[in-house]
Amino acid sequence: MQTKIKHDFLQSEKGQLADKILRSCVHCGFCTATCPTYQILGDELDGPRGRIYLIKQMLEGHTVTKETLNHLDRCLTCRACETTCPSGVEYGHLLEIGRSEVEKRVKRSLLQKVLRKTLLLILPFPKRFAVLLQTGQLFRPVLPGILKKQIPAKTRLTKLSLKNHKTKMLILDGCAQPALAPEINHATRKVLDALDIELVSFSGCCGAINQHLSDEEKALVIIKNNIDRLIAEFDNDIEGIVMTASGCGAMFKEYPHLLRNDEHYKNKAEIIANKTFDLTEIINTEKLKNKLNVNKNLNIAVHTPCTLQHAQKLPLNIENILSSCGYQLSTIKDKHLCCGSAGTYSITQPELSAQLREQRLSGLMVGQPDMIATANIGCLHHMNAGSTVPVRHWVEIVAENLKP
Amino acid sequence: MRYHCRMTRATKDNRKSLRKQLHQVLPKTCILETPEQTIPYESDGLTAYQQKPWMVVLPESIEQVQTIIRLCHKEGVPVVARGAGTGLSGGALPLANGLLLSLAKFNRILDINPANRSATVEPGVRNLAISEAVEKFNLYYAPDPSSQIACTIGGNVAENAGGVHCLKYGLTVHNILQLKIITIDGELITIGSQALDTPGYDLLALMTGSEGMLGIIVEVIVKLLPRPEQAQVILAAFDDVVKAGEAVGAIIAEGIIPAGLEMMDNPAICAAEDYAHAGYPVDAEAILLCELDGTNEEVTEQIQFVENLLTQKGATSLRTSQNTAERLKLWLGRKSAFPAVGRISPDYYCMDGTIPRHQLPFILQKISDLSKEYNLLVANVFHAGDGNLHPLILYDANIEGELERTEEFGGKILELCVKAGGTITGEHGVGKEKIDQMCVQFKSLELQIFHDIKHSFDPQELLNPGKAVPTLHRCAELGGMHVHDGLLPHPELERF
Amino acid sequence: METMNRTRELQDHVRAAFNDKTALKIVGGNTKHFYGNKSNAKKTNVIETRIHQGIISYEPSELVITARAGTPLKEIEALLAENNQMLPFDPPHFGEHATLGGAIATGLSGSRRPFTGSARDFVLGSKIISGKGDVMSFGGQVMKNVAGYDVSRLMVGALGTLGLLLEISIKVLPKPNTEATQVIAMSQQDALITMHKLNQTSLPLSALTYENEKLYVRLSGALSAVTSAQKKVGGETLLHAEKLWQEINEQTFSFFTESNNKPLWRLSVPYIANIDLNENSLIDWAGALYWIHSDKKAEEIQQHAIEQGGSAMLFRTHQVKAEKNAQDCFMPLPAKIKQLHVNLKMRFDPRGILNYGRLYSDL
Ligand SMILES: Cc1cc2nc3c(=O)[nH]c(=O)nc-3n(C[C@H](O)[C@H](O)[C@H](O)COP(=O)(O)OP(=O)(O)OC[C@H]3O[C@@H](n4cnc5c(N)ncnc54)[C@H](O)[C@@H]3O)c2cc1C
Ligand code: SF4
Ligand code: SF4
Repeated sequence: MQTKIKHDFLQSEKGQLADKILRSCVHCGFCTATCPTYQILGDELDGPRGRIYLIKQMLEGHTVTKETLNHLDRCLTCRACETTCPSGVEYGHLLEIGRSEVEKRVKRSLLQKVLRKTLLLILPFPKRFAVLLQTGQLFRPVLPGILKKQIPAKTRLTKLSLKNHKTKMLILDGCAQPALAPEINHATRKVLDALDIELVSFSGCCGAINQHLSDEEKALVIIKNNIDRLIAEFDNDIEGIVMTASGCGAMFKEYPHLLRNDEHYKNKAEIIANKTFDLTEIINTEKLKNKLNVNKNLNIAVHTPCTLQHAQKLPLNIENILSSCGYQLSTIKDKHLCCGSAGTYSITQPELSAQLREQRLSGLMVGQPDMIATANIGCLHHMNAGSTVPVRHWVEIVAENLKP
Repeated sequence: MRYHCRMTRATKDNRKSLRKQLHQVLPKTCILETPEQTIPYESDGLTAYQQKPWMVVLPESIEQVQTIIRLCHKEGVPVVARGAGTGLSGGALPLANGLLLSLAKFNRILDINPANRSATVEPGVRNLAISEAVEKFNLYYAPDPSSQIACTIGGNVAENAGGVHCLKYGLTVHNILQLKIITIDGELITIGSQALDTPGYDLLALMTGSEGMLGIIVEVIVKLLPRPEQAQVILAAFDDVVKAGEAVGAIIAEGIIPAGLEMMDNPAICAAEDYAHAGYPVDAEAILLCELDGTNEEVTEQIQFVENLLTQKGATSLRTSQNTAERLKLWLGRKSAFPAVGRISPDYYCMDGTIPRHQLPFILQKISDLSKEYNLLVANVFHAGDGNLHPLILYDANIEGELERTEEFGGKILELCVKAGGTITGEHGVGKEKIDQMCVQFKSLELQIFHDIKHSFDPQELLNPGKAVPTLHRCAELGGMHVHDGLLPHPELERF
Repeated sequence: METMNRTRELQDHVRAAFNDKTALKIVGGNTKHFYGNKSNAKKTNVIETRIHQGIISYEPSELVITARAGTPLKEIEALLAENNQMLPFDPPHFGEHATLGGAIATGLSGSRRPFTGSARDFVLGSKIISGKGDVMSFGGQVMKNVAGYDVSRLMVGALGTLGLLLEISIKVLPKPNTEATQVIAMSQQDALITMHKLNQTSLPLSALTYENEKLYVRLSGALSAVTSAQKKVGGETLLHAEKLWQEINEQTFSFFTESNNKPLWRLSVPYIANIDLNENSLIDWAGALYWIHSDKKAEEIQQHAIEQGGSAMLFRTHQVKAEKNAQDCFMPLPAKIKQLHVNLKMRFDPRGILNYGRLYSDL
């Protein structure tokens, strides 16, 4: 596509990257077909091709207002459009530039500012998040009451007696997950123990929240801190870091891109990304199969999180593991669709988010499953609030079926 | 026989008044009017043309469309309909003084009637969404443009879209039963019926391919076909494009009508493979994809026959799909080939000439010669079985003058197609893009009758004016500029 | 190939008629004279297209034939048969001298229609003389062509009221390797259910026709496909089936000849229509076409067809001409649609000289 990016911006590294991405878009419109927001709203401006155009306009020096801001805000960053795009347009990277540029040009309303600031102050910090959950107040208007259901879960967890193994990996404890669903990492430890892998806790936030809310600076601080600590850990015979939330995994894998201009961190980020694995990537299904008493009566619908299928490009991993272990998978519709959770989206865009959830759930329910399996805490939580069947992390299901 | 273009009759006051009335009948979110909002609508799938619309409206109900059209009619403001905006001829290119009417919100499938083998859908329903929705009845909607993931059925009807499977199963015109149309005076009429024949003139055929110039399509009843028991694709590689072209003719000459018969040349193969990972041989000069379908016995027999034939015709390697997943993967590469070319070039210009099949080798050679002459690369991806060419001329719009050279090259290809006994457009439509080539394809008498047909439906020329049919005036001017073989194309016209 | 190009002569004829406002009755082989309304023009000249005949081009590997309108259908079909090809829409001849022009102007298609397509589906291009005497070409000889409005298909079934057909290009298809017809004895109700079921399968069907307690299922395609389909369909294999299909298509079949002097109605309806006029009928097109002998009132028959989502036309009548003239053979059109018809007629034939009244009394 033809571009006429403003000269001074074009001189910057970001300008070059944006220009390259914009020019690789041929305006075919294929991506609109799989964009969840376009499918609901039917406005070019709420689809990837239109958003690309909005960003192009802005970088070409046209007037921008809240309109552009709103349409970019409404993007879920699910990156379904990237999976669909035959031309290889790196939409996610373009959007990142677009979002940071629009923040510079358009003022947000006070209310929005407060909301976003609050989120930034709380979500990335595991302790603060946990405290808030217990008081259970701040998000009452936007987060449904299932939160209360989740908290006692901690007490239910049985003490594990795990063996020591030669293969050691880190496991990210993340920000929201330990408080919301400690049972996920608990189950992971059990399952990996059965596969002779020992896990060592690594706590912290991946930086995605700040990144999504266009607080790049803070994000980089968090990321660099993670990198330094990880590099130190990797010295001690650790093979890599396992992610049980695909959102965090996707973020870790983005580190090299985010630090591409940082001479000091560039290579380190590359090392981290190469040693970051989604849980599905390290499961040896042959071995696992023999350790399971699979509940064959269970009909499971798999919701592969966007961060797993579109960002990490691992669209079939969950299905492959479950079906090779002998689980019965139910048919689903529109596999590519986002559930509407999308990081902080359920809080910043509550209406659309609820609509998307409904749509996603109805696609997952076509085969009348007993349960929905997924791989990201955000999706799990968000869908649980609207689902008639339980939504669980796939590893929990597997862990329950481990032979004693 | 002078023909006056009446495109700009509406005054500023008319638009002002229209704007006011539209705000009364449509919710705020359904009206886009600032440049920030309207510029992203300035192009369809053909980015070489851009025009910011005066206003974009996104109605949600038939009544709203009726009201909008009535108001436009009253105020004399022109309207351009838009589906998914994947058109490749600038058919949905907006007008600076006109309304762009998007039908994207009409995306519901209203009824599926398996026993009648039909489905009733709104115009903004995506082509592929129909086949997906009726899959549970073991039925499908046959025309499958490569853009089927995104393009709408309304746009398909307006362009008479074709696709990979049209060789055997026909174009859009063969696969629809009934349309509901809003005429320029805002009346809702039904054309065609649920039955196979409808009394009177075949207005259904007239509407199909009319590029939004005769009415706004607000509902479509499509025909559905039973899914064949078996379907397999042969992927045949060739070390020479011309040989592949000859093999196409040979298959048809044997009395076999494949479900699809497509060809790609090396640049297209490489680009598509890079995206789809379908296992295309990236060192081949050309590949043919030949799908055969029918009963199990029939397909087994024919696959063997065609495999032998292709080997005889010089195929260097053959691969036949063994299951549905593999077959779909092979098609995914083909269907994504245009945009995948975006991986090797920032822009492409897609031509759509159709020629008698036996001219394939000749035309391919000519295109390759012209490519050298213009110093512009070409990737060929096309519906070989139908003789429908899609040479993609690769260019870079950021380099000054390259688009102009590309257009000239494209024009040459189309004229070649007409000379070879073919046509300037097989399925993408004339739109804004091929309007000048219409003067090469038709004489003024035919062009006049096209205008007459337009006037029978839309006497004030408010629906998508300036598209599809050139004014005689324009042809005369062009004729004055290009003298072909020493002959003016329209000696009967006065020159201006 | 014998050729007789009489374009000039025909054009002069139309021009003269245009100048002195004489109505023209276009006649080919005169085999379908009964179809449509009788002209109600006072002064009518006959213009014969049979003088304008000959196959212009035929390239079997291109699957296209182009011929002048006056070319006998027989001649075309014979040539195609030599190359193992056919006109895919089974046009009825209704007589020795049927011409291609007549087949296209009436737009009638045979029993293969739901499975292969209709006359209009296979028309690729045409050359016509308009009511002003202008010669114009539309479409072409290639499979796909969207340049300009589809005037060629508009001509199909227009009964010559928009233009005199000069040349037509038609897509042809290879003849199926094998054809077989299964006949199954069953009631009309069961037959309809069976037809709907079969129509939703991917069996190589080429006709589903019911008459007098018998369902006829024709299968066409590769030998292996037809053989296996025969087993799935069941019933008995009919010997000399070709004769049956020929008779049905040409209306020499007993159902058509034993009419008891009742008019013959043709009802085009959705596959799933429930037609119940309490009359003897022959059902074709997998349930989408009913032939009915009935002397019920036109309004009653048409109303029933409309209720079922289709239409009814008076195909043949044995009564005196005057009575047939009394009303249109074709079902009345909604006002706005009629207006569009009139507008188009005005543009193609401003003085209303071409077959005026044949389709509708005011067209
Ligand atoms: C990558 C790519 C591949 C393609 N491959 C094919 C192919 O294989 N075969 C093929 O035939 N085409 C192909 N196309 C072209 C295009 O997809 C088709 O022409 C399609 O039918 C356009 O549909 P749309 O919904 O995008 O319509 P638009 O582009 O929005 O509009 C097309 C035309 O239809 C009119 N229109 C749209 N909706 C309505 C309505 N409701 N009522 C009246 N008029 C309306 C518009 O005014 C315009 O003139 C391809 C395009 C792309 C980008
Ligand atoms: S699919 Fe890719 S190339 Fe096509 S419009 Fe979307 S981003 Fe652009
Ligand atoms: S990231 Fe998701 S929501 Fe955003 S444009 Fe792409 S597909 Fe749409």
